[in-house]
Amino acid sequence: MGLRFHWMLPKGGEVRLDGRQTALEAARYRIESMSTSSAAPKPDLRGWTHFARTAEDAGIESVLISFSRYEPDPFLVSCALGQAVKKLKFIIAYRSGLMQPATFVQQMNTVSALVQGRVAFNIVAGSSSEEQRGYGDFLSHDERYARAEEFLAVCNAFWRGEEEVNFAGRHYRVEQGRLATPFVATDQTRPEIYVSGHSERSEALAYSQGTCWLRVAEAPEKLAPIVARARERGVGVCLRLCLLCRPSREEAIEVAESLLPVDRDESTTTLKDDSQMYREGNSVKPGDTAASDACWLNRSLWTGLVPHYGPVWTTLLGSPREIADALIEYGRIGVTEFIISGWPETETVALFGREVLPLVRLREATD
Amino acid sequence: MKLRFHWMMPKGGEVGMKTAQETSRVATTKASSPAALPDMEGWTRFARCAEDAGIESVLLSFSRYEPDTILVACAVGQVTTKLGFIVAYRLGLMQPATFVQQINTLSGLIDGHVSLNIVAGSSTVEQRGYGDFLDHDERYARAEEFLTVCRAFWSNNGEVNFTGKYCHVEKGKIFTPFQAATSTPLQAATSTTSVFAPSDTSEHSQRRRAGPEIYVSGHPEHSQRHRAGPEVYVSGHPEHSQRHRAGPEIYVSGHSEQAQHLALTQGSCWLRLIDTPENLSATVSHFRSNGVEVCLRLCVVCRPTHEEALAAAHALLPSEEIAREERGILSRSDSKTLKDALAAADSVGWMNRNLWAGLVPYYGSSAITLVGTPPDLAAAFLEYKKIGVTQFIIAGWPKLDEMMIFGHDVLPLIRAAEEQQEQ
Repeated sequence: MGLRFHWMLPKGGEVRLDGRQTALEAARYRIESMSTSSAAPKPDLRGWTHFARTAEDAGIESVLISFSRYEPDPFLVSCALGQAVKKLKFIIAYRSGLMQPATFVQQMNTVSALVQGRVAFNIVAGSSSEEQRGYGDFLSHDERYARAEEFLAVCNAFWRGEEEVNFAGRHYRVEQGRLATPFVATDQTRPEIYVSGHSERSEALAYSQGTCWLRVAEAPEKLAPIVARARERGVGVCLRLCLLCRPSREEAIEVAESLLPVDRDESTTTLKDDSQMYREGNSVKPGDTAASDACWLNRSLWTGLVPHYGPVWTTLLGSPREIADALIEYGRIGVTEFIISGWPETETVALFGREVLPLVRLREATD
Repeated sequence: MKLRFHWMMPKGGEVGMKTAQETSRVATTKASSPAALPDMEGWTRFARCAEDAGIESVLLSFSRYEPDTILVACAVGQVTTKLGFIVAYRLGLMQPATFVQQINTLSGLIDGHVSLNIVAGSSTVEQRGYGDFLDHDERYARAEEFLTVCRAFWSNNGEVNFTGKYCHVEKGKIFTPFQAATSTPLQAATSTTSVFAPSDTSEHSQRRRAGPEIYVSGHPEHSQRHRAGPEVYVSGHPEHSQRHRAGPEIYVSGHSEQAQHLALTQGSCWLRLIDTPENLSATVSHFRSNGVEVCLRLCVVCRPTHEEALAAAHALLPSEEIAREERGILSRSDSKTLKDALAAADSVGWMNRNLWAGLVPYYGSSAITLVGTPPDLAAAFLEYKKIGVTQFIIAGWPKLDEMMIFGHDVLPLIRAAEEQQEQ
């Protein structure tokens, strides 16, 4: 089976229909999307539809719709966007602790029927305790994982089609649970479940309840044993990364240089106090220039933006051939999927489909 | 002010059904029922007909037998332009902040054409299947807190802090705003409905769409007195928030004292089953004087002559088997609404010349039916208007055909009479 490629859905207002946006402008829009003046919290069906069609044409399988208090609800976004595009799938990110698992299943099943089964689920434990409390969730990091375990156990019981779901846990209790609306898809009876996080708890959750473990890209040598472990447990591994592709590596580095913040102390991750992944990100020290050694995990993996904006800004950088080589290398160690982001998203996904994906598919066919 | 008419959204597969009997609750809660699945083709057809018939909104009912209402409104709203969606939801299923984020997102995706019908839940068994183990009275106490939190989110741009028995929120903030409708031709015709165009800065319209002052007309100070419960700390900039952070209309349904109290404290409209004007008159005045509208749920059977209408109504009586099962559902429920309706059906049958409870034992509590000719029905609706009722949510058998009859034959008579009264 070939590598599977997904993309991040841009924020509301981020997509420029005229395509006139530099990498820096697009990145700044993303960085500032949590400020009160941003248009990111508002649904943007025109922009999203434009992006989604471009992604479909580029050979992208799904878009990940992220969840936070700064954005529209991903269930509704996928439901609306799914009426406008007919091939693309939607990976809905959601946190446990926000609704009853039965309600969550009813919503997921309803969406599946409304978008012909094109939905998957990315469960996120939550990375900021302040944000969680604003939702009415007062549990600690480890307790949130224990709850997520129960949450998915109940969801999976519904999806297994048990006539009646009965569950008595510490966080959830269900008695004679029944939902008439089934998960509707041609080839599966439940959504794929991506569990994201870098902590041991997230890894264990991926094995017990998930279908795929989602984590940020690292150097292949470092990932190889982790990936092998997950694959042995029958779980796929999906890497989250940003893409910076130009005709030559030098040109790509020049763009990377332009993305470094003017204020070298800039940080958008101060609220992310309760996440292993963000703690790891904080250990990366800012470099003075894009080219400085501190910013590279290997020749193509650049972390220059990680100290400022967090681990998901880890960037695969290079020429189309270098990037295709790097993706194939991940495939060799057992990685199965990628969720990619770029600046600007629409132009980058088009470029990926035109310049990189054909090389990947060719190598897959000949290897 | 003109009367506002809404219709029940058919269940999945119902638009294609031929007989009333197929659409009964007993049939649609069977495992094999198409009601479990979304029916975009049927719903699109129905929604467009509703817009043509002069219907303002459709009510989407919530249960474990049906698709999720918030998502159905989102999908159907992509193919309609002016139809409103009254989304029924039970409380206890999600955190208020999450609910607000979903409703606000929905409002942005369907041009603000959304309002809420808050249902406390009528079946204890069904609630437990969702993980909700509170009893009837506790459910209402929670609803009070839940809506207080929701309205705090809707009324301001700042942080929401709330510590209650059932809900607890610390520095809550939802960035996606509620988008009020920018164009509702039907509502624009009325003077006290909830149009709030971004350019409209009149004090009147602002008051009516901002969270804590959601009351439709009347005396907000008075209503505020009813607002018991924990304190809500609200920070932010009120001038700013009133323009941009308005909330949806909230219909609270139920006949119990707790439901009425909840409608008065947190709702913009009390939704209840139809009864005779004499029986309703005093209660309706009470609500109106507290600034809360009253909306009646009913069914209609309209035919050119009274005899034809009666014959059509009687033809709806179904099999004994359905009757037995529906009676079982009604008598097992812990909802006062359902018990009241069954009692009406058993004791009187015809509540007046046009109002018939005869179908309740077969089709459930909401099947109290106005039966008659177009002039009969128009007169009946205007009679309710006289006592202060402002809105109706109607169903019929089949829903689509009866709605077209209503739009074509009844509504024009009502509008003509209203225009005459206004002159």
